[in-house]
Amino acid sequence: MKRKKDKKKFSKNNSNSLFNKSNQKQGKSCPLSGKNAPEINYKNLKLLKKYVSDTAKILPSRITNVSLGKQRKLSQEIKKARVLALMPYVGE
Amino acid sequence: MNYYEHTYITVPELNNQDLETIRKKISEIIEKNASKIVREEDWGIRTLAYQIKKNSKGKYSNIYIQGNNKVIKEIENFERYDERVLKFLSIKINKIPEENSELQKTTD
Repeated sequence: MKRKKDKKKFSKNNSNSLFNKSNQKQGKSCPLSGKNAPEINYKNLKLLKKYVSDTAKILPSRITNVSLGKQRKLSQEIKKARVLALMPYVGE
Repeated sequence: MNYYEHTYITVPELNNQDLETIRKKISEIIEKNASKIVREEDWGIRTLAYQIKKNSKGKYSNIYIQGNNKVIKEIENFERYDERVLKFLSIKINKIPEENSELQKTTD
């Protein structure tokens, strides 16, 4: 019995240390999801302008940390704003 | 019944009479198709991000419609052949927001 217990302890510790490593490397979470996240809408120009480069291109989510679903919504709303000339297609 | 959001941009130099006639025609089309305007917003004259038909400014008007898809088709048909209307966009939405949009409050 004693032996078995020891074995279990060892394996548990081992796995824990593995997980801890990954925990330390955790990145930022998505700024557009969660409880107090702002609503993504083509009329909310202040928000949309944050996610567009100087040349008016949509920034990739690997830079802005936006989640996949929200990035899809964001790009759709930016395109709506472009149709209505609220945002430019091409920047300076 | 569906909810729609319709925005159209008109030439900025229009006088009030022309604006009224456009608004009246749109509301006539909406009434003809047994639909109704739930809410109206006026975003005022804003500078366009790019030139449309050689205009650098435009007057934005926004309406929320409760109705069927035929209304949108007829409104767009009217606006497409009206020279005073520069551009339009209609979107199907699930819910009509109760608060005014931020564009209503800020000019430019």
